[in-house]
Amino acid sequence: MAERSTISSQRRKALFVLLTPITLLLGAFFLIPLGIMVVYSFLEPGLYGGVVWSFYPYNYGRIFGWPLGGGEEFEPLYIQIILNSLYYAALTVIVTLVVCYPVAFWVSRMGPLAKNIVLFAITLPFFANLLVRIYAWLLLLRPTGAVNTALLSLGIIDQPLNMIFTEFAVIVGLVYVLTPFMFLPIYASVERLDWSLVQASQDLGATPFQTFRRVILPLTAPGIAGGCVIVFIPALGNFIVPSFLGGSKVQMTGNVIERQFLQARNWPFGSTLAMIVMASVLLLVLAYTLWMRRAANNERLAGAGHV
Amino acid sequence: MRQVSEQEVLRVDGARKSFRTPESGVVTPLDGITLSIRNNEFLTLLGPSGCGKTTLLKTIAGFEELDEGEIFLEGRAMSAVPAHRRPFNTVFQNYALFPHMTVAGNVGYGLQVAGVKRAEETARVTDVLRLVGLSGLERRKPAQLSGGQQQRVALARALINRPRVLLLDESLSALDRKLRQSMQIELKNLQNTVGITFIFVTHDQEEALTMSDRIAVMDKGRILQLGTPAEIYDTPKNRFVAGFIGTSNIFSGTLAKDGGTSRVDIEGGPAIAVTADGFASGDKVDVMLRPEHFALASGRTGAGGSLDAVIENIVFVGTDLHLHGRLANGLPVVALERHARGAGALSLAPGQTVTLHYQATAPHLMKSQAA
Repeated sequence: MAERSTISSQRRKALFVLLTPITLLLGAFFLIPLGIMVVYSFLEPGLYGGVVWSFYPYNYGRIFGWPLGGGEEFEPLYIQIILNSLYYAALTVIVTLVVCYPVAFWVSRMGPLAKNIVLFAITLPFFANLLVRIYAWLLLLRPTGAVNTALLSLGIIDQPLNMIFTEFAVIVGLVYVLTPFMFLPIYASVERLDWSLVQASQDLGATPFQTFRRVILPLTAPGIAGGCVIVFIPALGNFIVPSFLGGSKVQMTGNVIERQFLQARNWPFGSTLAMIVMASVLLLVLAYTLWMRRAANNERLAGAGHV
Repeated sequence: MRQVSEQEVLRVDGARKSFRTPESGVVTPLDGITLSIRNNEFLTLLGPSGCGKTTLLKTIAGFEELDEGEIFLEGRAMSAVPAHRRPFNTVFQNYALFPHMTVAGNVGYGLQVAGVKRAEETARVTDVLRLVGLSGLERRKPAQLSGGQQQRVALARALINRPRVLLLDESLSALDRKLRQSMQIELKNLQNTVGITFIFVTHDQEEALTMSDRIAVMDKGRILQLGTPAEIYDTPKNRFVAGFIGTSNIFSGTLAKDGGTSRVDIEGGPAIAVTADGFASGDKVDVMLRPEHFALASGRTGAGGSLDAVIENIVFVGTDLHLHGRLANGLPVVALERHARGAGALSLAPGQTVTLHYQATAPHLMKSQAA
């Protein structure tokens, strides 16, 4: 017993040493700025930027309906923009999911060489700068861009489609940027799927649809959920894609926050908007965690009964 | 009790299948297999790995298609019938239990997808779980079960649909020896109770011998011999079958008939007295002698012969002693002696020369495969 406790205390020491750097790093560069944002969101904006140190709930009021008045109005547009952002993010999740789920099955059944090539191709975009890649979409989607030129010369359309600076362009951009984040977790769960279970389901008389709904879908659900969460979060806060491909017409909260910080120099209000985005993300992650914990509990329960 | 009738249930007719390997070779797991499976029998497909037995099972189940040939269920061609419409059920090698469903969910799955009413499903799940001895475990998940219990769930899940034919794919190989033996007996009992045709795939000859009504020994995509366990054990058709089933001493030689007696002259070694109906003098043959056909004591009745051997190794396995020796010409030979205590105990040691006696009826002649 004594030996065992020494081992466990050693292990604890090792864990402490290993975890210290990341704890310090996260504490210094994540928690402290976050704390500053929380505090700032309740402070009064200074006249020429900066903050005035007095409690000021009206940042939230501008968004939810208790404004200070006198130049600061309740502006339902902010809620509208947040709702729009949620909608774009949700749409991005749906499109990437619909694209990635079947492809994951296709890739998982490839030979080892083809599989490696495809997986490499999926990570390839990360080797190029995001701005450059988004800019490429600008060239593709604009009225004189590659897509319109091709469609015109094929005679499919007789005047250029108005694609750039539309919701469509923003969704295309978000889907393009975030597809790998949906693909990889889904692919991992599909790769883990035991195909003999699919055969067993067929063997027991289930139609292909029944097999999908009762066996394949539940067993790949963790990958789907993981992919949805890690696509939804960056989609919701994204500001590069809408500012390049959405122009001034399509705005997401990311753009508004960016402008508050960099142009309006209203840090408290920018912080407030950021807090709201973060709150909605946290709610989502909380739901996901609870769901995963329930699944893990089922597993653990399963393990505990094994004598 | 179950009756194995002569009536045919399933017929595999000229089944052929081959595919390319990544190394651009061609593998032919099924090279013209014709097989008739009788109602209520327990048929075992036995062979080394890669002999095509699992492929044959998968084509019957409908997971793989034949290049040529056809599978008939009571005269009805099956090739156009997808796996989920075939009245066969499989017990998979790894059991393939659905990890996200309970035992009752797994077992009831076949009924649920067939649209059977809830009440009937519950009743039948209860029945079949009692049959396999798992009553009370309905709400467990597969991961909470032992290997043997998991196997019984897989069995129950396959049985509940009342298949015409039950396919068992190496289903016992994952279990430890003790558990496997008890499951073997349970499977036989179960078959006696439910009356289903079993097709069982295994590479374990002992399993095949203990459980089967008939065994089909396979190698390289062909059926080498089909017969009862006793037929396969006592009168194997060739060297491969003899070597695959049980332990055997196989000697190659030339048959010499001399009046009423026949013998096989082993190359560079002794002659073995045989009875040789159906063979002609001068034929190249293989002679098989099972270890238990040898006796150290010469006093047995009837004519026979003997071989002198030098003992190299004695292996004690409880009931028996396995004597590993060599003939004068250097060929290895294995003999089996019953172990006895006290006065009857054998005093044998390596290096000793012994005379191994056999009866005239013991040697079994097979056509030499080279010929």
